[in-house]
Amino acid sequence: MDLKNIHSVCIIDDDPIFIYGTKRIIKDLDFCSEIIIFNNGQEAIDGLKNLENNGENLPEVIFLDLNMPIMNGWEFLEDFTKLPPQNREQVTIYIISSSIDPRDLERIQDYKEVNNYILKPLSQEDLVDVLREVA
Amino acid sequence: METASINFLIKDSPVAVAIVDTNMKFVCHSDVWCQEFGKGQHTLIGKSYYEVLSNTPKALHEVHKECLEGASNSNKAQKFIHSDGTVQWLKWKITAWKDEQQQVGGLIIVQEDITEEKLREELLLKAKSVARIGGWEIDMATNKVYWTEMTKNIHEVSKDYIPSLSGGINFYKEGIHREKITQLVSEAMNLGTPWDTELIIVTAKGKELWVRAKGETEMVNGKCIRIYGTFQDIDKKKRISLEYQAISDRLAIATHAAKIGIWDYDIVENQLVWDQNMYHLYGINEAQFNGVVETWEASVHPEDKERCLQEVEQAIAGIQDFDAEFRIIWPSGEIRYIKAESTVRRDPEGNPLRMIGANWDITEEKKAQKKLKNLLDITGKQNDSLLNFAHIVSHNLRSHSSNLSMLSGFLSQEEDEKEKQNLLKMLTDATESLNETVVHLNEVVQIKTVADDKMKTVNLYDTIMGVQKNLALLLKEKQVVCTIDVPKGFNIKAIPAYVDSILLNLFTNSVKYSAPERRPLILISALEREEQLVLTFSDNGLGIDLERHGKKLFGMYKTFHNHKEAKGIGLFITKNQIEAMNGKIEVASTVNVGTTFTLYFQKN
Repeated sequence: MDLKNIHSVCIIDDDPIFIYGTKRIIKDLDFCSEIIIFNNGQEAIDGLKNLENNGENLPEVIFLDLNMPIMNGWEFLEDFTKLPPQNREQVTIYIISSSIDPRDLERIQDYKEVNNYILKPLSQEDLVDVLREVA
Repeated sequence: METASINFLIKDSPVAVAIVDTNMKFVCHSDVWCQEFGKGQHTLIGKSYYEVLSNTPKALHEVHKECLEGASNSNKAQKFIHSDGTVQWLKWKITAWKDEQQQVGGLIIVQEDITEEKLREELLLKAKSVARIGGWEIDMATNKVYWTEMTKNIHEVSKDYIPSLSGGINFYKEGIHREKITQLVSEAMNLGTPWDTELIIVTAKGKELWVRAKGETEMVNGKCIRIYGTFQDIDKKKRISLEYQAISDRLAIATHAAKIGIWDYDIVENQLVWDQNMYHLYGINEAQFNGVVETWEASVHPEDKERCLQEVEQAIAGIQDFDAEFRIIWPSGEIRYIKAESTVRRDPEGNPLRMIGANWDITEEKKAQKKLKNLLDITGKQNDSLLNFAHIVSHNLRSHSSNLSMLSGFLSQEEDEKEKQNLLKMLTDATESLNETVVHLNEVVQIKTVADDKMKTVNLYDTIMGVQKNLALLLKEKQVVCTIDVPKGFNIKAIPAYVDSILLNLFTNSVKYSAPERRPLILISALEREEQLVLTFSDNGLGIDLERHGKKLFGMYKTFHNHKEAKGIGLFITKNQIEAMNGKIEVASTVNVGTTFTLYFQKN
């Protein structure tokens, strides 16, 4: 498998253990060369805007948690869709959450930016699937 | 001379009298004659009878002829039909008069046109026969009983039937009818009292008939000498009216049992008629009801009046039927719910004449409906909050369990000793987090279960002072200025531990999220409002962007500040606690100015 197609991945989650685990699996799979971490939606939207302002590319894949302090996943999506489209068109968002609330699953349909929903815990197989879809 | 004086006497005679000679020429006549038969002439003397009364029938000519030969003739009523078809009734007395030589000199004619009376009599007879009214009479002296033809007809006996008092009475149906007539007749005979009654007879042919019997008496020296009266066949009318009565009785029983009030509104005269049930429904004394529509209007609840009047107007205008629900206020002040339906009666041109309708009380149904809706609302809310809670529980437990499974997965494969230690530490943290979550959930579950217990009287001021004292060290350290403006007498109905917990949470929140650049201020005040005591808790802290976070402010595990101690459980528990005590909490906030929580407690 040629897995080197993805350059950078962004993880938006407030749970340090999840971040640790995800980073580890990404490294094990040699998924990408760069991992950007944000602890909530606000940090993420600020960080992404910063990248844009510096003329850098946005990460190709975003793993987004739903329940976060300050700004949750939904609010992040609202703000994210307001970014200039040429910059975000190449970004694929995966929601990774513990929620099995059907209302959350339904709400995802409203966002065409969201590619899929992955239920925690994240496994190696999940990431392989992501690679297949994105690469 | 003699003739002249006779003539003079005849002239002023009060009846129509004329003297004619043998040639039937008037010798003299009374003024009345001239008025009656003279066709406007002042005198007829010298004129021929047949000239003046040109339509004298042939039969009368013959009578005159006979009388001129010396006979007399009289007739009480003779009907003549003239060639033009008109009917004339005449009554006469004719005698020949003789001169000194005993020769017939002419005729003395007394004549009267009784056509009008006769026609009237005929009409009466006809009316009696159409109305089937007969007459009867008992002569008490001779015990003779007379029945008219119609009376016999009604009894279905032959024309030659000879009636008697006992025979007449025996026609009445055995039982109450015969007893009643016997009593009435004997009272009439002894006391002279008249009667007018409706009873059943059994005719000679065995048919049962309703009759109206009227009797009057003629008394002489306290003794009854004659009883007479009328006898009318009212069978058809009576049976219809009895049937109507039965139906209306049945209806009355039904409406009374169902407590349905019937009303009848004469639109033209503004006259409103209520049945007995209506008075009960409206709690109005019948004597106080003045029969105008305004009385009804005055009973209708002010908030429903305009709509009701509009619907009445629409019904009268023919736009839609009156089918409404409204509240009324009894004179006692009690409010009842009424359901009303009605129809409008119109004349052939479609103009509204009357509105007839029914009212019934639906207060109990309304109350039950309201209660049911309340229960449904509560159940719905509880269901929602339970579902929410279930999702929160599942989410929170799942996030920990997924972390645990991931970490243990790594640990089993890890060979590096240092990394193993790191993983183990994370595993411990995750376990502790799980434990903490379970403790939080337990707290929430406890709120729901304790809430059903009876609440106690809690003094608001004492409780606030108590919490403030417990937090004295923290407040002093942060140099918080507290202003407590709560009347000492304010008591609420609450669970003491909840009030403590709520206040503790609000105090610590204010301190935790105070603005670092200014001295923290806390202002607590309270006021009374109807059934509630309203407590406001304000600070000058960081504030919350409510537009953004308002909806989730009281949600579980929602945090809005980058604060290491923010756990997102405090306000969630506060909200649940206050709602468990039938109260509510509201928030107003401006970022970097401060936050005000408003708490509603049940007054004790």
